[in-house]
Amino acid sequence: MSDLIVSTLTQGLIYALLSYGVYITYSVLDFPDLTVDSSFPLGAAVTAILLLGGVNPWLTLLCAAGAGAVAGLCTGFIHVRLGVRDLLAGIITMTALSSINLVIAGSNVTVERAIDTIFTSPPVMALLGDLTLSGRKLVVALVLAVAVKVLLDLYFCTKSGLLLRAVGDNSTLVTALAKNKGNMKVLGVVIANALVALCGGVLCQEQRSYSAVMGIGQVVFGLATVIIGISIIRFFARSKVAQGMRKVKGLRFLATPKGTTAVLLGSILYKFCVQIAINAGLPAHMLKFITAALFLVVLVVAGRRGEEIIHA
Amino acid sequence: MLELREIRKIYNAGTVTELKLFDGFHLVVPDGQFVSIVGSNGSGKTSLLNLLCGSIPLDGGDILIDGKSIRKQKDYQRYASIGRVYQNPSLGTCPNLTMLENLSLADNKGKTFGLGFGINRKRIAFYRDELASLGLGLEDKMEVKMGALSGGQRQAVALLMATMTPLKFLILDEHTAALDPKTAETIMVLTGKIVREKGLTAMMVTHHLRYAVEYGDRLLMLHHGQIVLDRAGQEKQETATEELLQIFNQYSIL
Amino acid sequence: MKNLKKLFCGVLSLAMVLGLAACGGGNGDRGNAAQGEGKVPIIGVSQYGQHASLNNCREGFLKGLEEAGLKEGTDYTIDYQNASFDDNMAIQIAQAFSAEDAALMVGIATSAATACYAAAEDKDIPVIFTAITDPVGAKLDSGNITGTSDVLPVEGQLKLIRALQPEAKRIGIVYTTSEANSVYSLGVYQEKAAAYGFTIEAVGITAQAEVTQAVDSLIAKGVDCFSNLTDNNVVGVLGSILEKTNEAKIPVYGSEIEQMKLGCVAGAGLDYIQLGIQTGKLAAKVLTGEAVCQDLPYEVIENFSLYTNSKALAKMGLTLPDEVAKTAQEVGETA
Repeated sequence: MSDLIVSTLTQGLIYALLSYGVYITYSVLDFPDLTVDSSFPLGAAVTAILLLGGVNPWLTLLCAAGAGAVAGLCTGFIHVRLGVRDLLAGIITMTALSSINLVIAGSNVTVERAIDTIFTSPPVMALLGDLTLSGRKLVVALVLAVAVKVLLDLYFCTKSGLLLRAVGDNSTLVTALAKNKGNMKVLGVVIANALVALCGGVLCQEQRSYSAVMGIGQVVFGLATVIIGISIIRFFARSKVAQGMRKVKGLRFLATPKGTTAVLLGSILYKFCVQIAINAGLPAHMLKFITAALFLVVLVVAGRRGEEIIHA
Repeated sequence: MLELREIRKIYNAGTVTELKLFDGFHLVVPDGQFVSIVGSNGSGKTSLLNLLCGSIPLDGGDILIDGKSIRKQKDYQRYASIGRVYQNPSLGTCPNLTMLENLSLADNKGKTFGLGFGINRKRIAFYRDELASLGLGLEDKMEVKMGALSGGQRQAVALLMATMTPLKFLILDEHTAALDPKTAETIMVLTGKIVREKGLTAMMVTHHLRYAVEYGDRLLMLHHGQIVLDRAGQEKQETATEELLQIFNQYSIL
Repeated sequence: MKNLKKLFCGVLSLAMVLGLAACGGGNGDRGNAAQGEGKVPIIGVSQYGQHASLNNCREGFLKGLEEAGLKEGTDYTIDYQNASFDDNMAIQIAQAFSAEDAALMVGIATSAATACYAAAEDKDIPVIFTAITDPVGAKLDSGNITGTSDVLPVEGQLKLIRALQPEAKRIGIVYTTSEANSVYSLGVYQEKAAAYGFTIEAVGITAQAEVTQAVDSLIAKGVDCFSNLTDNNVVGVLGSILEKTNEAKIPVYGSEIEQMKLGCVAGAGLDYIQLGIQTGKLAAKVLTGEAVCQDLPYEVIENFSLYTNSKALAKMGLTLPDEVAKTAQEVGETA
């Protein structure tokens, strides 16, 4: 039981990186970005090839994020400069990237157990060497997910971050502030895809494998986690508990959680829903149905409707 | 000084619905002038503002600020010296950001939006004073999301934001049209005060003839893309609302 | 009032979810206990998706365990899960196996196998794979993992085509660029074709929706026949491919028994049931402690079978040479 919670939590935390990315495009920028389905395996492909080439595992993640950023730049450029609609711009990059992924790493790569990943790298072993591999995976995933969340929260509070939020909220105002809203959109899509590719890279190290088809359905997953997470946070923010917490000074900041917290929880919850479906002992082919049913319960209970979205 | 030279704007060129709105339109606005513009629907008031701000492309002619053409500048580049308040109160502010965040954004106009902290705590007292000067009790709502405020309150903040940093022109695009009469009155009083205090060059499009008469030191009436009435100085001051209505009706019937 | 009701609903559903989780956990705990007392070890079987060949693999696997003398219930229990061709699902399935301390994990198809291998690392649970064409390329040929490969008998197929169509020159192949098995098999075809006097006309696709277009383009190029790989996208729409090729009078050679049943003229193919049986026997050795994965190299089926579909052959005006007919097995159901 505890093993299962550990590994499921680890998955949720790793995938939170992808959810942050989808959150930035879909929720903050109001940009439905389909690049994700290809930038996710791109991150894994780059990571896998560099790991095999003996590159430091942490450095490979940086490269993966960089590759994702370039993918985002392409989508942004196609949309903003070439004037192609956002959805189509994402589809074009996604399609082209699936070929690029095959060129980079073919259709499958396995990273042998002899090669160090971030979960077995010397600094991690020095600090967490006493833990089992699963334990180390959990701690590293937790540190990554929280660190990226804190960095994003901080970014959203900067001038640039405020402007990025303004683009999704009211782009007319951004123009009136004498800023090129197109450039801000590109920046948002770049950050988002860097995070998605980072997620692909971390997953590749955790699974010790990359496959060209691993990106299929990731956009849908990302959207689901964002919507579920935000619904639940909204439900919580309206609840009596949160109202009570707002009256206590030390708890006030907890009563209105940030959007990044929402998607982090959404990602973890999603993975637990799937794991519950697997463990429910139902016929294997019913897994997807049960997973879908669980999401429906979450969405209905948390109340999908509601007008405001909590950013930063 | 703002100069519009030989302005040409044709909608749906080459089709049966072709509409030649402006053809050889001329206008000179000296610095510090507050121009009120009236005219019936389709007379070209809003198109004029949009051409000036670069929201729609120009088909001919030139726009000059202090003798320099801004024709090639993109909309966002022109806004460096232009502040604009829209008819729709939700266009002037970000509904999901707090008032403080909105004001901070406006306060940073003209500077770089880098990785510095978005809200300058030292400026909060200043924002508070500015909000207090609106007399709407908004100074205590700085942490509230803009979307939670009424249209009038949002428009007041939008006006404040548009004029927060130094600017050459203030563009008021029927900015009281979506408000109830009482709020509209409040916003108009505020507008007059801000334009006067900051000595702004302003162009205000309005359907409200009384506002056009009461505010500003120049009055323009447009009809089918042409200036049919242009009064300034003493002559403008002596124009009564009734007289303006009479002239307005003559053109509207045509 | 309304809020209160909502809150109640929330608490209730949370309780339900937790309850479900507890049930799930219960299963795992039972597994643990059983393991601890040296009773009934669990074999976690993760099948990548619902697919005739993969189903046959699983069936054969169970048969293989029995043939090795093991009995379900006393010697092992099976925890079977299907990932619906979803890599993420495969990952979580494998983790569930690890959590219930499975004695052995079986991954049917590459993604299922790599996910099992990753989840097995921490507890060093042995992993058995099957239906992987190129285990060396997938680097699953060393470590606490072994299994069986479904590498295609390409030379057998080329010989068969030459025997049936002595004049044929060009073989059309449609394959999915992202399927490792297909890319590998195509490479083998391209390497061996010349020796039998063929050239290969290959068209790569990225999705199942592109299969018919690819077939159209190959027909337009005037290929003499089609030869199938075990490509999931292609096999998945075999029916509509055959409609087109029948119309154009171009024979299609299959790679697996099920394809001949559906209307491919003939094929040197794998019997996935046989492959499964072989896998089951391999697994039994590991489960009983007779051998460890490290000492068991992965296996391939040496003997392939020839399958024919006489109705389909007749439709194409092809006759079976005697030497082929002697060894071939007639399996045709429809043409």
